[in-house]
Amino acid sequence: MAVLKPDYDSSPRGLSDAARHREKIKEAIRRNLPDIISDEAIITRRENQIVKVPIRGIKSYRFIHRQSDGASGGFGSGESEEGKVIGRRPKPGHDPAGKPGEEPGEDYLETEIDLAELIEMMLADLGLPNLQKKEVRETKILKGWRIDSLEKHGVRPRLDKKRTIKEAIKRTEAMVQALSEMTGKSEEECRAALDLAGGDPVRARAMLDAGPVAGGQAGSNAIYIDGPDLRYRTITEDTEFHSNAVILAMMDVSGSMGTMKKYLARSFYFWMTSFLKTIYQRVEIRFIAHTTEAKLVDEHEFFHKGESGGTSCWSAYDLARELIDVEYPTNRWNVYPFHFSDGEDWDVQRTVKSLEKMLERGVANFGYGEIQAEHSGSALMDAFKQKIPLQSRMMEGFSYYEGQWGASPVLGVVIKDKPDLYPALRVFLNTGKRGGGLQKFIG
Amino acid sequence: MKDVDIKKLSKADELIQRIARDFGLDFMPQEFDVVPAQKMLEIMAYRLPVNYSHWSFGRDYEIERTRWEYGYAVPYEVVFNSNPARAYIMETNPPSIQILVMAHVYAHNDFMKNSRHFQVTRRDMITSASEAASRFRAYEQDYGSDEVERLLDAAMSIEWNIDPDELIRPETEDEARDRLYGWLKATPTGGGFDDLLPEKKRPDAAEKQKLRDKTPPEPTNDLLNYIIDNSPRRLREWEKDILTVVRNQALYFMPYRRTKIMNEGWATFWHEKIMSRLFAERFLSPEEHGYYNLYNSRVKAHNPRTINPYLLGWALFQNIEHRWNTGRFGPDYEACANAAEKHDWDLHLNKGIEKIFEVRRTHMDWFFIDEFLNQDVIDDLELYIYQEVDKTTHLDLEVKETDWRRIKKMLVQNLMNWGIPRVLVLDGNYHNSSQLYLKHEFEGFPLDDEYCRKTLEHVHFLWGRPVYLETNSPKTGGPITYYIDGDGIRVRTG
Repeated sequence: MAVLKPDYDSSPRGLSDAARHREKIKEAIRRNLPDIISDEAIITRRENQIVKVPIRGIKSYRFIHRQSDGASGGFGSGESEEGKVIGRRPKPGHDPAGKPGEEPGEDYLETEIDLAELIEMMLADLGLPNLQKKEVRETKILKGWRIDSLEKHGVRPRLDKKRTIKEAIKRTEAMVQALSEMTGKSEEECRAALDLAGGDPVRARAMLDAGPVAGGQAGSNAIYIDGPDLRYRTITEDTEFHSNAVILAMMDVSGSMGTMKKYLARSFYFWMTSFLKTIYQRVEIRFIAHTTEAKLVDEHEFFHKGESGGTSCWSAYDLARELIDVEYPTNRWNVYPFHFSDGEDWDVQRTVKSLEKMLERGVANFGYGEIQAEHSGSALMDAFKQKIPLQSRMMEGFSYYEGQWGASPVLGVVIKDKPDLYPALRVFLNTGKRGGGLQKFIG
Repeated sequence: MKDVDIKKLSKADELIQRIARDFGLDFMPQEFDVVPAQKMLEIMAYRLPVNYSHWSFGRDYEIERTRWEYGYAVPYEVVFNSNPARAYIMETNPPSIQILVMAHVYAHNDFMKNSRHFQVTRRDMITSASEAASRFRAYEQDYGSDEVERLLDAAMSIEWNIDPDELIRPETEDEARDRLYGWLKATPTGGGFDDLLPEKKRPDAAEKQKLRDKTPPEPTNDLLNYIIDNSPRRLREWEKDILTVVRNQALYFMPYRRTKIMNEGWATFWHEKIMSRLFAERFLSPEEHGYYNLYNSRVKAHNPRTINPYLLGWALFQNIEHRWNTGRFGPDYEACANAAEKHDWDLHLNKGIEKIFEVRRTHMDWFFIDEFLNQDVIDDLELYIYQEVDKTTHLDLEVKETDWRRIKKMLVQNLMNWGIPRVLVLDGNYHNSSQLYLKHEFEGFPLDDEYCRKTLEHVHFLWGRPVYLETNSPKTGGPITYYIDGDGIRVRTG
């Protein structure tokens, strides 16, 4: 018979080779982290969604003809006329809805990955150990006073009357019981004897042994307080532990900050928030947009609306300081102010003063990111370099500035294009590791 | 699957064989295996029922599985050119689909048995691949799976850079030298056409010496074979085995690649005819007819983004049959200017079937399209060329070309050399220091730069000495040369 149903052992070859392929995808993700983190699809994803990561590198390479000028095409069949649109394809790396492309695996492979997993890979790549919630940085907050324990000795004002009387009642009742058992007399008679003896059990016993006891306040609930009954309070400071961080995202939204610059700032804020979320139980982000005046705005407005006007960075720092005072006191919050601008500022002196006032509040880490179209000297970074002061440093080919203001580390990075994002983040995390912000809970 | 279903399929098998023979199909013995979906998808991804392990097969398996799970594609059949021919049928498909597939498979079988292009392929590939798989497993144990993977990555990157027209046994370098030397010393026969032959050439000692030293004696496009035989890296036996297996499998699949449109068109053409006989003979119920129609229309569905080879091949065979039945070919027909006369042209030749049997024996896709694709078929199928148009947020796929002449021209160009860029080995001892000099035969389509670089890395890994590749710039079209050595790749103009 030519038609058979053979008994195949379902050897999981396909599955195991697929697993090897997935391993290679992860390798590729690790290799391409700098590309991947600057991918717009990731930071525009909806909350808690799995991220689709475009991967280049798991292709099977061979000699092939080049597709014509990026805009490729092909043959098709079916009802058509010239100019008819027969379909559409999201542009690689431009996938606002976060939906899978209609035709996956065409010119690049897409893989799905959990954002948390991606962050873990990045932290590993950045040489940071696995951060665990128990290593979370906590802030201790004084709430007032709290009774710690009761002791038998203490000062008069801390006498706990209620507990003392409670102890006295317990002791009185115990004496009545004991007398009754020892003499075989009724509890009432014993109570009367104790009353007549003024609370002295030895005398009461003698009286009971001598003969029937009458009189006294038999039946009363008199209690007798003595030295051993006294209870004094000890008190300690009452504190509470918080694990909160707030990012005060400041940005110059004047006309000179173009879409690309805002996009870079946005990516940076996205990853900063994601990292801090692995460290703190609660992370908030507040947006301060400024031109010559600063105002609190929502995320959408922050990243999408531009305004005309000049640039006065001090206004943002002043607003940030007020916000710290009113909503995010630094004894309860780890405050991470970060400011992006293109370096233009109308009143550098005033800005430096305002910055110092804000830093006085004791922030966890202040960062200043300058987004430059091309390398040019910048008034603001220069002023910071002098006043804070900031030292120029290099990390794997990426130069940045680092300094300390009081207990707060201060960081300056210059971002010119997408590839600078990853090193800038690396600097941010590493500064924390050494200087202050993130140091208390890492290694 | 129930026994009763297997019985039904066996019965169908008998009927189909009889009908197919009636139609004149000539096939090898055929075996069918009914397999679960997972096995089917694995066979599709691994190209063979049992094959060696490689991550790219795993990737393709995941792609196939996703396509299947999301209902993008229903695996119908896989058939192998062995003797007896072996085909796989998906267990979960309804019986009417399985029977459709069986009819389809018999036509493939006929094609493989009779097409000129399948004659040189080995028919023991299924066993051979399965044996290779166990040898490779042993290599993984002995030499490390990373080593094996690295070598497979490299081998598979040039698997199609082979000579599809080679004979069963490739010519050795010395045999090629003898042949070339023979040409050099050949003296014209002295007939009346002497003047048409190249001028008599007496090989001098220097020329002979040059030929003796030259490797390869003449340019070859069998890069993989050249590396196996000549790599200065001194490939070990197990490494040669892996490279040879990859090459043999590519050679085995080459005829499928070269006849995809014809082969699928042929099978579709005949399964329709066989199925209608099965319905006429009431072997299948009217209800099953409904199923069949549905699935058959999916087999022949238009695809807006690519050409469906089942549809195009089927339409061409239909068209050829009609044209040769009615005599719509040749100078008289071509010269006829009267539209009405042309429309009703019928010489009652009834040579249609004869013609398609002849075409299936001799042609492959490239020449099949070039010779038979015409305005009628292109208009009927509404073929077009589309292009991606950048709309900033997305790409629109826009129909750009519906003119049949240009479509045909582009299609033929695309099928040229089956889409594989021709890369020739010019010199395996370049600079007299075992460097490898390759040349891409530029036919107007430049190589993709990224792919080219990565592939050259693989070639360099296999060769172990510097490698040159002469080609044309993707940007300017001017000549450029890639050069790779241990320090990386450089590109220079000229």
